[in-house]
Amino acid sequence: MSTVVESRRHDADARSMEVIAALVRRTLLRVRRMPSAFIPSLIMPVFQLIAFSGAFGAAVRLLDIDPMNWYMPLNAIQGASFGALGVSFGLLNDMETGFFDRVLMAPMRRSVIVFGSYAAAIARSVVPVTFVVLVSFLGGLHTPGGPLAILMVVVASVMVALSACGLALGLTFRMRNMGAATLTQFAIFFGIFLSTSQVPLSEMSGWLRACARVNPMTNILRFARQGFLGDITWAQTWGGLVAMAAMFVVSTAFALTGLRRYDR
Amino acid sequence: MSIATAITHSTQLTKRSVRGRLRQPAALAPAFIFPLFFAALGSASFNRLARDPYFSENIASSFLNYAVAGAVVQGVLFGATSAAGDLATDIEQGFFERLLASPISRVSIVLGRLAASMVVGVTQVVVFMTLFVVFGARVESGPVGVIGLIVSGALLGLAMAGLMAGIAIKSGSPEVVQGSFPLVFVLLFLSSAFFPRHYMTGWYRTVADWNPMSHVVEGMQGFMNHDLAADQFVKAWLIPLGVSIVGIAFALRSLDKRLAAS
Amino acid sequence: MTSSPIVARELVRHFGTGDNIVKAVDGVDLEVRTGEIFGLLGPNGAGKSTIVRMLTTLLKPTSGSASVAGFDVVTDADKVRRSIGVALQDAAIDPLMTGRELLNLQAVLYGLSKADGRARGDELLERVGLTAAAERRVGTYSGGMRRRLDLALSLVHEPTVLFLDEPTTGLDPMSRLTLWEEVRRLNQSGTTVLLTTQYLEEADQLADRIAIVDHGRIVRAGVPRDLKAQVGSPTLFVSVDQAHGDSARSTLARFGELRPSAEGTLGVGLARGAEDVAAVVRALDEAGIKVRHLELNEPSLDDVFAEATGHRLEGAQ
Repeated sequence: MSTVVESRRHDADARSMEVIAALVRRTLLRVRRMPSAFIPSLIMPVFQLIAFSGAFGAAVRLLDIDPMNWYMPLNAIQGASFGALGVSFGLLNDMETGFFDRVLMAPMRRSVIVFGSYAAAIARSVVPVTFVVLVSFLGGLHTPGGPLAILMVVVASVMVALSACGLALGLTFRMRNMGAATLTQFAIFFGIFLSTSQVPLSEMSGWLRACARVNPMTNILRFARQGFLGDITWAQTWGGLVAMAAMFVVSTAFALTGLRRYDR
Repeated sequence: MSIATAITHSTQLTKRSVRGRLRQPAALAPAFIFPLFFAALGSASFNRLARDPYFSENIASSFLNYAVAGAVVQGVLFGATSAAGDLATDIEQGFFERLLASPISRVSIVLGRLAASMVVGVTQVVVFMTLFVVFGARVESGPVGVIGLIVSGALLGLAMAGLMAGIAIKSGSPEVVQGSFPLVFVLLFLSSAFFPRHYMTGWYRTVADWNPMSHVVEGMQGFMNHDLAADQFVKAWLIPLGVSIVGIAFALRSLDKRLAAS
Repeated sequence: MTSSPIVARELVRHFGTGDNIVKAVDGVDLEVRTGEIFGLLGPNGAGKSTIVRMLTTLLKPTSGSASVAGFDVVTDADKVRRSIGVALQDAAIDPLMTGRELLNLQAVLYGLSKADGRARGDELLERVGLTAAAERRVGTYSGGMRRRLDLALSLVHEPTVLFLDEPTTGLDPMSRLTLWEEVRRLNQSGTTVLLTTQYLEEADQLADRIAIVDHGRIVRAGVPRDLKAQVGSPTLFVSVDQAHGDSARSTLARFGELRPSAEGTLGVGLARGAEDVAAVVRALDEAGIKVRHLELNEPSLDDVFAEATGHRLEGAQ
């Protein structure tokens, strides 16, 4: 018994990191053993990249913008968010099988459950983003802003994916059914399309322009796209950083309060 | 069995199917909301394109006028797919077997379903057209064009429902039907449903040229944006009609095979 | 705070609000002593699982208090979690993972180092007889193997108090015996066990003391032998033609109090014991009542249950 008692006295932070790492390993293991549930989140954004740039491409080509450069960041962000949603499907599954009770009964900080899910969401979203970036290079993507442009797309994708994950977790803790994932899908869908998803603000008319102007996603898309449309500047960067930070904080608070409500 | 009885049965089953669809507004909603949303999004986004001389002279007077046909087609396709999902669920849950055991003709059972999709298709055309006209769209070819669009919507509903019913009967699994849904998206995106073919380039353009969906949509766009012409009827009516015949034959053949196997 | 490992005082849990309120647990007092196996016996929906979920920190009580291993389940939940092992109903395990992977994960969740976790995993797999199946996915396990793995998982951090929620429901008789043996062995090595069950035999064979739970309340508690002795007389079950039901009832009532029984059968507690059976048969014969079936049962926990609740547990399953 004594060795076990000794090993219980780990530093709490180190322990949290170990648990988070273990939860990520479990997610990856599930993806590896049940790829059919993961493959759509890999194929969908690539299909959308091809479809958007192929069908709507002319609209931005009229503005001397390369369609591949315009749409790639959008589809990377969208693909990352839907990939991260897999975490909430997994959580719901764990709730139904009772596996989540096992996690809840473990003596650790409650926030580890949320941040462990976040780490899993990063793992699930980076893969589709990488895939989208690779395909877009095959389709003629170029980076006038330099290699930093790629990093900025990845950052934006992961941050939006984490916000989507936080929203999905918060809703899943509260609703405990599939409706949570459906609502999150709607939120991502409308959040993305009611922004500068298709054309720049200057091209929009009326209601859409009004929506897109106040939609934080517009700032995030500007942040993610700049390195593919020209130089990377602070003016195009800070708004996106603020929007990402705000979305992250709000959705994380929503997830943590949801867990507290579930935890009784 | 007399033809009259078969028609009565088909009518009864049509009513059941339509009622069934109306009772699940959540399942039907996407078939109305998404096409309207995409049309609204397109017409608020692609103004500059509508000012392009080629567009305004050869395609449509506004992007909204252009988007109507694509929205109708999208709605009808969504609706028919989810109807086929219902059919597969019926098969999975055994209601279908109960029907087959009853003295109702087998053909009525399938035709009842398909007719229901035509009814939903017509409803969608009427609802969409009304909304679009309120928001400023105009049917350039007049009342005959409106009828042309409605008939086209009904035939398209029949064609898609026939194909999807075939898949549903063959597989008997709602998952397989849902799984074929992305193919509908591929068919739509690789056509002129959302954006004019004229502006596409490369292989994408080639695929869209060969995609029959492009021509159906363009036939319907003809009703919306030009004076009446024979080629509009050929594209908007005959292509869906041809697919309907193939689709119904496929559905009935799948039914025969399912019956032979059971 | 008392020294008993599990104590509950006036524990209440309601679900829902307003008119739809369900009193799943309606004032439960409980004290489990160090080193004993304590059984909560009751039918489905009696509130057993809700009690366990409160004691294991998964559910907050509506009112009342409870302590486990000396810690309050609400204010000191984390310390409770460190001290207890729990195997919940329907072995909550991920079918895509192997037995070994689940043990490793559990070890991390409870803060064991990698080496300790691995050694402990090997030891537990050996102990529950799953060493050969350790690298197989849990989805391929039989029901009995899943329960044994679940038990192993609950023991990873060497808890002093073990909760087993219906550990053998749905298992075949052989698997059930294997699990009982394992529980007994654990208990002998000093672990306090609280288990819930809807099986009379399980409570009778395994538990040192039991509490009978019905409609969210504990209606009887004690050592099975004492409880049975309190019921006293054996029960005679008689099946007769339906037409003779009323006259049979009045005939039987002459020999003792009538007791609850399954439909189509009458039960009477024979006040003078087994020797009265012959007299009962004679009396029924004299009354012209044809007996279809006759069965004499020594007092069982089912009789205790029936006496306490007015209905029988067996047949309700």
